[in-house]
Amino acid sequence: MLKGKLLMAVMVLAALVATACAPAATPAPIQAPAPTQAPPATEVPAATEAPAATEAATEAATAGGPREGGTIIVGLQAEPTTLDSQQISDYNSHRAAYGIYDMLLRFKDESTEVEPGLAESWEISDDGLAYTLHLRQGIKFHDGTDFNAEVVKFNLERQIDPNHPYHDTGEFPYAEFTWGMVDKVEVVDDYTVKITLKERFAPFLNHLAMHPAAMASPEAIKKYGRDYSSHPVGTGPFKFVSWTPGVEVVLEKNPDYWRGAPHVDRVIYRPIIEDQSRLTELEAGGVNFIVNIPPDDLPRLKEDTRFTVVEQPGMHTWWVAFNHTKPPFNDVRVRQAMNYAVNKKAIVDNLLKGTGTLAINPLPPVVWSYTDDIQRYDYNPEKAKQLLAEAGYPDGFTCSFWVPESGSGMQQPVAMGTAIQADLKAVGVDCQIQTFEWGSYLDKVIVPPDKAEFDLFEMSWIGDNGDPDNHLYILLSGEQWPPAGYDMGFYKNDKLDPILKEARTTLDRAKRTELYQQAQKLIAEDPPWIIVDHETQIVVMDKKIKGFKLHPTGPFRFENVWIEE
Amino acid sequence: MSQAAKATPVVQRGSPAQAGRSQTRDALRRLRRDYMAVAATLFLVLVALVSILAPLLAPRDPIETNLSQRLVPIGTPGYPLGADELGRDILSRLIWGGRISLLVGFSAVMVAMTLGVIIGLLAGYFGRWADSLIMRFIDILLAFPAILLAITIVASLGPGLRNAMLAVAIVGIPYYARIVRGNVLSLREQEFVQAARVIGAPDARIIFRHILPNTLAPLIVAATLDVGWMIMAAAGLSFLGLGAQPPTAEWGVMLSTGRQFIRNALHLSILPGSAIFLVVLALNFLGDGLRDALDPRLRE
Amino acid sequence: MTRYVARRVLSLIPVLLGVTLLVFLVMKLAPGDPAQIMLGPKATETSLAQLRHELGLDQPIAVQYARWLGHVVQGDWGRSIQLKREVLPFILDRYRNSAYLMILAVLLACSVGIPTGIISAIRQYKLDDRVVMVIVLMGFSMPIFWLGIIMQIVFALKLGILPVSGMQSPGQTGLPDQILHLILPAVALATGATAIIARMTRSSMLEVIHQDYIRTARAKGLDERLTISRHALKNALIPVITVVGLQVGYLLGGDILIEIVFSYPGIGLTMVNGILARDFPLVQGAILLVASSYVLVNLAVDVAYAYLDPRIHYEH
Repeated sequence: MLKGKLLMAVMVLAALVATACAPAATPAPIQAPAPTQAPPATEVPAATEAPAATEAATEAATAGGPREGGTIIVGLQAEPTTLDSQQISDYNSHRAAYGIYDMLLRFKDESTEVEPGLAESWEISDDGLAYTLHLRQGIKFHDGTDFNAEVVKFNLERQIDPNHPYHDTGEFPYAEFTWGMVDKVEVVDDYTVKITLKERFAPFLNHLAMHPAAMASPEAIKKYGRDYSSHPVGTGPFKFVSWTPGVEVVLEKNPDYWRGAPHVDRVIYRPIIEDQSRLTELEAGGVNFIVNIPPDDLPRLKEDTRFTVVEQPGMHTWWVAFNHTKPPFNDVRVRQAMNYAVNKKAIVDNLLKGTGTLAINPLPPVVWSYTDDIQRYDYNPEKAKQLLAEAGYPDGFTCSFWVPESGSGMQQPVAMGTAIQADLKAVGVDCQIQTFEWGSYLDKVIVPPDKAEFDLFEMSWIGDNGDPDNHLYILLSGEQWPPAGYDMGFYKNDKLDPILKEARTTLDRAKRTELYQQAQKLIAEDPPWIIVDHETQIVVMDKKIKGFKLHPTGPFRFENVWIEE
Repeated sequence: MSQAAKATPVVQRGSPAQAGRSQTRDALRRLRRDYMAVAATLFLVLVALVSILAPLLAPRDPIETNLSQRLVPIGTPGYPLGADELGRDILSRLIWGGRISLLVGFSAVMVAMTLGVIIGLLAGYFGRWADSLIMRFIDILLAFPAILLAITIVASLGPGLRNAMLAVAIVGIPYYARIVRGNVLSLREQEFVQAARVIGAPDARIIFRHILPNTLAPLIVAATLDVGWMIMAAAGLSFLGLGAQPPTAEWGVMLSTGRQFIRNALHLSILPGSAIFLVVLALNFLGDGLRDALDPRLRE
Repeated sequence: MTRYVARRVLSLIPVLLGVTLLVFLVMKLAPGDPAQIMLGPKATETSLAQLRHELGLDQPIAVQYARWLGHVVQGDWGRSIQLKREVLPFILDRYRNSAYLMILAVLLACSVGIPTGIISAIRQYKLDDRVVMVIVLMGFSMPIFWLGIIMQIVFALKLGILPVSGMQSPGQTGLPDQILHLILPAVALATGATAIIARMTRSSMLEVIHQDYIRTARAKGLDERLTISRHALKNALIPVITVVGLQVGYLLGGDILIEIVFSYPGIGLTMVNGILARDFPLVQGAILLVASSYVLVNLAVDVAYAYLDPRIHYEH
């Protein structure tokens, strides 16, 4: 009897040990690893042109021209919610739908400068209010209908005019933001459209390249109504084939695309929620392109010769906001102290491991007018304690710190929050973390000041159009307290507001640059947040995929990509 | 994990309260002969001791971060079981985490059992419309997928260990209610209860003196088996981010965050995973042993 | 019997109503505005207000519930806020996926669990019994999501014989491909179910074996195996049906943890995501569907039980 038990105990132990050992063994690399990694995104790149990402990405086609055919299978982080570009509010939908459409203007490759899209040329009136677009002729939608000025009017008015017959075919979260300044849209002739604004708005041209400016087939909208979300029809390089919810979105190449047919036959988007599963799928070959790679797995992938890693600084910022209406956060010394207290470099290096770059400025370095000639807050806990004492808090104070469990652009919210909490505690600022799931979090954090229950909270922002206004005005102007805008911490800097206002309405680029640089200096002296990092856009793909370049606004451009043998 | 896990029959023969005592002695004797159950009990006592003595035994502060020591492997000097993604000592977190996980498991069972027993007693004893009404409510709770109910409750109360424990407890109520009700229904018809009624003994007395002691045995078995389930359910909630708040150490949270590092730092998930596994296994052995011991007909 | 069944079916209705009402109320209690969640952080107040009005969220709670109920009985299960699709076809689709998984998992669990339980019972307290029960219990004690991830790495990545996740390989629709995708999650699910079924079979068999009439049969000198198989087994399996039925009912609700790990588009994930997004129509609809199937399965089990074992007597 006893022998039996012993045997059993040994077996149990053996089973445990087996499970412990087996998965730890990693296969030896096939050959000596040759790093294909990009140089880490460094400091100030010129204007809004992102530096060329990797050698692989900028490789020209090998002799004989790019090979035709093949399928790109993208592993997304979550299921898209709609393929109607104008209804999109999340990244996964944006990425899945992108290839189906063209916008009126187009962002250049790897840049947020605009170039002609469906509109081949345009004029702006002297008073800066009227934009006349001359549309390309001879373009057809995937369903065979024509693209013309009436189409543009239909698409724009559907979003902004509550009386438009097809306004109720969807919700348009970006309509107000993108078109709120538009007064009217007029058809001048078959291929000329005139958009008149209510007031001068410098970034408007960029708005014409954003996703709400994607042109959808009016016939398809009329035919499908609310179901258009899952039956998209555009003019883009890829046609919609099918959408099996929870499984895949399938697009195939549009051979008649006006800029030239894509090389690959199909693009498939597969939602795989679990980070490790997505990674495993890539390594097992179930997908050949993934996003949102856990930082700790990145070094291994960079050394794996089967894959190419493409990186590019993103238009993203991550911070911890103060509730400026609550003491002691209305005291600039306290905010400065807390900036000194946090070891941001350690977080970026050790937690983010190269998936983000240290931030000193709310504006991401890739956006034009960025300057680093501003006050910095390098890690200095002694200085922090000193400032706190000066402000009247020699023993620190307690506060609440709200943290989401996940969320688009939030990187590693819990780990980063915990590290920040520890740093603050070391100088006497004792913050209680409370986590929320993303849905509740947004609800509780984007509120008017009288409803704000938090002291500190984490937030991030991804730029939409590459204009500094999109980062500075919307997030930091005293006029943009919720519900009007997204200055969720209720920051108000009286010297800053008029500068931002002026920069919004001046059309002269040089003047705007000067104004924004002034703004950045002011912001740094009077910190609104504990700014931590700018996330680097990183994707990993099968080595055979060539010609891919990341774009700062986020979606993937596959029209010029090809797959080698 | 499902409620169905616990749907195993425990037949209980009723008898007057006095006979219960010698029954207990018999049961204990049988239990002592079941080596697995004994080993399991010893192990559990050990775990409980370690948890209680956590402040003395844990080498480091479980929430002290040290970013330069991130993910160091088992056996690193100063970190006998390695460090987690923020450089915290895993051994200390395991010890303190055990405290919390066990506490959550037991508390949840206590809450669920108390409420469940009360409901089951009421339903079984008073019968008829009280029974119908209560069982309707129980059916509603049961028709709800367990984890989903827990998630919904936590979503409304807000994440946190206490709410997670409550949610898991509420989900567990029907389990006990049903057991008790079933036993009460059969006991109610037995002679000694009928006799007590005829004499005119008040209901409360009958319930507490005669019925309750006889339902204790299946309840104990059920509770033992349930603690394991509760611990895993709480870990599941932590997996979904709805349990313990950072920087608290809790096995479920450790397992959940550890899964992100399965490739390069397996010990982050293996250790808490094994801890949960061993404790639940021990509880299952003990529970099985108890059941075998308490049901005389299963004796060889 | 028919009266009993009819009565039970009728009593289902208040239960189902109760379930949908319960989840509705609890979700309402939760902070979180479906309009905000759907439109994202960059939505303006006007668009939010408009969406809320369209969804009827500005009505009193009782009205909202009543409206939903009214529509449901007419066959209109509404549109999902988050997914912009009609609820009914969508949840039926997901439910079907979960059903496939359930079928495979239950088949595996029964084919391993029942023989295991029988053998264990016959050889009670001997080595075989112990070893087998320990192994079976191990599967039951392991956190299922962790097991799933390990299996993924071992079988899909290292050994490369099975797909990592999902329901189908990209662009394919064949059945063999689907079955391959079902294997890993089904096995992970089956580990828990096997333990339950094995245990139940074992204890049920033990109970039967020790019964008097079996002893009598043995005393008469009938062949051991015959005795077991004919008399013991039949009666022992009856309670096992209950447990299998419970597993079926449970798995039809989708195991959310497995669905996350394997990115399997089942109904569990649908419901959880729905709750997190406060997507009332979707969650209500899904819960109604799942709860209905659960109680119906339970009813079927009870009826089968009553039919097979005439000793069971039902009150009222």
